[in-house]
Amino acid sequence: MNDIIRPSLKVQLGKIKFKNPVITCSGTFSHGEEHMVFYDIGKLGAVTTKSYSLLPMKGNPPPRICETASGVLNSIGLQNDGIDSFIYRHLPWMKGAGASIILSIFGRTTEEFKKIALRILDIKSEILAVELNLSCPNLEQGGKAFCAVPEEVKRVVDSVVSMLDIPVIVKLSPDFETIDRSAELARQSGAEAISIINTVVGMAVDIDTAKPLLGNVTGGLSGPAVKPIALARVYQLCQQDILPVIAMGGVFGYRDLLEFLIVGARAVGIGTANFVQYDIGERILNDLTAYLREKKIDDVNKIIGRLKVEKKQA
Amino acid sequence: MKLLNSEILSNQQYGPGIFKMELFSPYIVRNVMAGQFVNIRCAPNDGTDPLLRRPFSVFDIEERFNVFSVLYMVKGKGTGYMSSLRKGDTVDLAGPMGSGIDLNTGSKDILLIGGGMGIAPLNLIAKMALARGKNVFIMAGFRDSSLLRWERDLVRMEVKYRIFSEDGKWGEKGLVSEYIFEGDRFYKKHEIYVCGPVEMLKIIQEKLGRYQISATALLEEKMACGIGVCMGCVVKIRGKNGSFSYKRVCREGPAFELSEVVFE
Ligand SMILES: Cc1cc2nc3c(=O)[nH]c(=O)nc-3n(C[C@H](O)[C@H](O)[C@H](O)COP(=O)(O)OP(=O)(O)OC[C@H]3O[C@@H](n4cnc5c(N)ncnc54)[C@H](O)[C@@H]3O)c2cc1C
Ligand SMILES: Cc1cc2nc3c(=O)[nH]c(=O)nc-3n(C[C@H](O)[C@H](O)[C@H](O)COP(=O)(O)O)c2cc1C
Ligand code: FES
Repeated sequence: MNDIIRPSLKVQLGKIKFKNPVITCSGTFSHGEEHMVFYDIGKLGAVTTKSYSLLPMKGNPPPRICETASGVLNSIGLQNDGIDSFIYRHLPWMKGAGASIILSIFGRTTEEFKKIALRILDIKSEILAVELNLSCPNLEQGGKAFCAVPEEVKRVVDSVVSMLDIPVIVKLSPDFETIDRSAELARQSGAEAISIINTVVGMAVDIDTAKPLLGNVTGGLSGPAVKPIALARVYQLCQQDILPVIAMGGVFGYRDLLEFLIVGARAVGIGTANFVQYDIGERILNDLTAYLREKKIDDVNKIIGRLKVEKKQA
Repeated sequence: MKLLNSEILSNQQYGPGIFKMELFSPYIVRNVMAGQFVNIRCAPNDGTDPLLRRPFSVFDIEERFNVFSVLYMVKGKGTGYMSSLRKGDTVDLAGPMGSGIDLNTGSKDILLIGGGMGIAPLNLIAKMALARGKNVFIMAGFRDSSLLRWERDLVRMEVKYRIFSEDGKWGEKGLVSEYIFEGDRFYKKHEIYVCGPVEMLKIIQEKLGRYQISATALLEEKMACGIGVCMGCVVKIRGKNGSFSYKRVCREGPAFELSEVVFE
């Protein structure tokens, strides 16, 4: 008899329980319908939906995509059909598919976040958590991102948490030096976890026409190019031990996922890779299991936060 | 739609900077509809540059041999990599993608208007329409004679055609858009498909619009996913009462009613 290890993959972030640490990122997986053709999305730790607003949004003018070295710039502009379309059209499908759901939402004002929270009161038992996309523009602060101003993060989290008794995840951008403070205020307001990173602001120019290559001039960079940035942000936040962290940014294989776990993340999101390897979620899950078996590690939690930093003297 | 590894049966120069890649795939051959495309990974193994797949129209299928082909112009890193591949190499691709064009119904008379590399999807439409006993007429315009070899394919297909080139060295001299209403010929009973550069599409939209003749345009836009999840490949489509919406080339398209497309 050889004793094949069946490693436990369960992870927990505050009150949120995932059957494994492999999840998909908002805006890169729609609701899973398209990827279901390639594998069973019910196997994933969670599926994060695209970000929903109160009312439908048309999004930015094209071109919306520009590839850069090992990365992608996008200026989608959060195109979506509004929260009601999620509730009535996509949620029933996702439940049928057996997906564990993180619903991503965004508003342009705190009031809008509240109105969306009100709409999802009735479906709260059907979703694992709500993720607040706080990298979007805050109209009450002249269009500056919510997460640029930690007090604004607090305002939104306060109002959503007071209305919804389901776990709230706060998603932050890597572009501001306010991550720790935002995370701390989010914790005080009752958030359960932090997701980082959203895309990094970036730009590309066509030298022949001297025009920007994105319709919206600047956009968000994602993919392997941003992984080192994401890793450093996740590491720094995990060192503070404020809230459990869901990490994302440039994950294209199980080795990337392991790096994020080692620096302390408890779950890891796959984003841009969903555009390239349509079965990446299943692949990473299988590869992670195989890795744990090979290393004879019976619980994925044993990897989390194992980073060994040896500070050498100058 | 499936993820596939397909073997290259040939990858030969078709014209200057233009290649035709023939791939073995019973699945694509059996399932592809006119107007659909495949999404090809253009980096070796786990390479991340280029990162995204590249979309290519299915140019032709050979049902007997389970072979399909793409005709591509070398533009940058991705197509450069493709041109370096050899017979026997495998390609990581996904398809068929996009909404297909149903040629089983509709008019018996088909007019295809192509410009430059825009002939790639039209070639398959022609072949499939002819197989359904339709009358196909092709009008295609080119800057030069780079795609000269296509004329042999047209002759082999036994399809009626007119070729125009800007320098007059291949076919007739001029722009195809100038000839679609030569004399009193109107294509009112034809089902029209157009594919080519945006400048050409705009002129044809304007000309057909004058006579309220509808046509289907096959559009291109930069894509990230190709399967409809990223909302990256949208084009502006006119709605009722001056409204518009953004539609995905990879899902609702690549075929759109030409009169509804807003070119900016
Ligand atoms: C539905 C669809 C079908 C297509 N069919 C064909 C075909 O049959 N044959 C063919 O030669 N080409 C086709 N194209 C265009 C082809 O996808 C691009 O030429 C290719 O992606 C360029 O890749 P690259 O890495 O070589 O160039 P890059 O270095 O990425 O770019 C070089 C140039 O190509 C342009 N380009 C890049 N991606 C696209 C894109 N998705 N669509 C249009 N232009 C692009 C860029 O703007 C740039 O000017 C199609 C595009 C679409 C959307
Ligand atoms: C096309 C695209 C659309 C995205 N849309 C959203 C979104 O709606 N909401 C959100 O919180 N993040 C969105 N993101 C950010 C991703 O969820 C993720 O945080 C980021 O891309 C980093 O991960 P990656 O490098 O693995 O893609 C989007 C990213 C891309 C590439
Ligand atoms: S390329 Fe992603 S939606 Fe079309």
